[in-house]
Amino acid sequence: MSNRSETLVPHFDRLPEPEQIGQMATWLAQAGLESLELCNEAAGLKLRIRVGQAAPAAATSHAPAVSQPDAGAGLVAVKTPYFGHLCLTHPQRDSAFAPVGAKVAQGDTVALLTLDSLQVPVPAPVAGTVAEVTGQAGALVGYGTAIMQIQPD
Amino acid sequence: MSETPRFNRVLIANRGEIALRIQRACRQLGLETVAVYSEADADSRHVHEADVALCIGPAAAARSYLDPNGLLLAARLTGAQAIHPGYGFLSENADFADAVEEAGLTFIGPTGASIRMMGDKITAKRAMREAGVPCVPGSDGPLPADMDAVKAIALDVGFPVIVKASGGGGGRGMRVVERVEDLAQAVTLTAKEAEQAFGNPTLYLERFMQKPRHIEIQVLCDTHGTALWLGARDCSLQRRHQKVLEEASAPGILPETIAEIGERCAEACRRIGYRGAGTFEFLYEDGVFAFIEMNTRVQVEHPITEETTGIDIVAEQLRIAQGAKLGIAQADIGLRGHAIECRLNAEDPFTFMPSPGTITRWDLPGGPGIRVDTHVVAGYTVQPYYDSLIGKIISYGATREQAIARMRVALAEMKVEGVSTNIALHQDLLADPAFARGGVDIHYLERWLAKRTAS
Repeated sequence: MSNRSETLVPHFDRLPEPEQIGQMATWLAQAGLESLELCNEAAGLKLRIRVGQAAPAAATSHAPAVSQPDAGAGLVAVKTPYFGHLCLTHPQRDSAFAPVGAKVAQGDTVALLTLDSLQVPVPAPVAGTVAEVTGQAGALVGYGTAIMQIQPD
Repeated sequence: MSETPRFNRVLIANRGEIALRIQRACRQLGLETVAVYSEADADSRHVHEADVALCIGPAAAARSYLDPNGLLLAARLTGAQAIHPGYGFLSENADFADAVEEAGLTFIGPTGASIRMMGDKITAKRAMREAGVPCVPGSDGPLPADMDAVKAIALDVGFPVIVKASGGGGGRGMRVVERVEDLAQAVTLTAKEAEQAFGNPTLYLERFMQKPRHIEIQVLCDTHGTALWLGARDCSLQRRHQKVLEEASAPGILPETIAEIGERCAEACRRIGYRGAGTFEFLYEDGVFAFIEMNTRVQVEHPITEETTGIDIVAEQLRIAQGAKLGIAQADIGLRGHAIECRLNAEDPFTFMPSPGTITRWDLPGGPGIRVDTHVVAGYTVQPYYDSLIGKIISYGATREQAIARMRVALAEMKVEGVSTNIALHQDLLADPAFARGGVDIHYLERWLAKRTAS
């Protein structure tokens, strides 16, 4: 693990600025950590930062990977929130979740990832129209794979 | 290898140089590899070389390399029948080892029970003492109330001793006693403090090792009752408990002494039914070995033992996990020459601040006796999320002097641009007269660094 806190508070002889504490909280969240404690007994200083973290679990829905609008066409990629076999059609019906041209609302399930008996929904990051489906049905896809492009409303 | 292999596809649950090292051993044995990686490692060498590569999560290790469920699911989806944990991450997680085997897969390492036993310092020490592995001499239990009896124990253990509170920890509730005359007062004071601080006046005492060296013994055990020791490594050059430079064999310690301690380690493995590779770590001072802990996995510094024994430790791990018998006997293991490993870190050589970034130049050393274990190529980006190890230079020579000379040239040839590295630190260490003599203690490097900062 990188030792970023060293950069920020090399000796911890005084409390960091609020902006620095905010930055540390951001780094904690990015690293998937829950809390950080700095202690300087001699100086009587103690700093504890806690950040809320969603417990990662395969069966629960994850926040999708950050999607940036494509610079050219303004398309937004749908990225997989986990890994698994890609399922583009509803298992109980024959119809595709979101074929090209379909209108989707933000959070709509546009595909599923199947892992044995588990099914993880892939939500649409934005409301819009499906412009392109790049993912192959049945393929084993990794975390963060772009499977579709959406033209936002 | 047995006729029907237990597995032919191995999931490598790690990253960086060790992932590539494991992959090489698998490929040499004709085994397919599955690389599971975080988003940050998509461009890693072992990912490109793998038979199957799967991104399993974001950069945060908790949701990738440290996610037991994710790794098991990935093994299922990719058809891997065995998991090699490497070092760090989940390699010494007993519950993970158990979960892998419960899922019907092979864990390339010891049983969960062995990992659990060695993970608890008290049970580990008890098991080692029973097996005849030397531990820090001490009272082996609470000190008696009678001060003459305490003195007798202390004299038997040998001064200086350290008096510790059973309920203490974190450096509190302990006192070093240099002379027997000071013992009574120290015991009384420490007991009083322990009562006040921890509500428990129970004390024990141990020999206080002032300037110990870190000496470790590599073992290799199959599942048919064979346990071998592969010589010793000296890893005394440490900063903040992180090893910086290691060598094999340990300078100045007689081979017979190492053989005796090595055989005790091997015997301990036979007694507890240990399987796979492992390392017994000791403090060593004035001819006394004191067991610290056992690492139940392959270690970063395993290559120096490979160089001095000619044994491919990672390949042996794989063969043992297949159920094969070790093809070598203790008598076949010759400890030849001397090997040194310098750990290359992407960090500032003076402040030790991590130095993530893109490596723009990466010229590797070569020539006889030089080995480089690294996942880095020019253009590689050192990520801020993981440790800063970017490679290991290993030099081998017929003598320690030759190994040092070869390492000096290798460090001079090694050219890295784009990130800062600790190459200069290694060069300074190799030029240090005390290092050249050999046998410095575990505090030497920090004292040396403090002096460097002051001057």
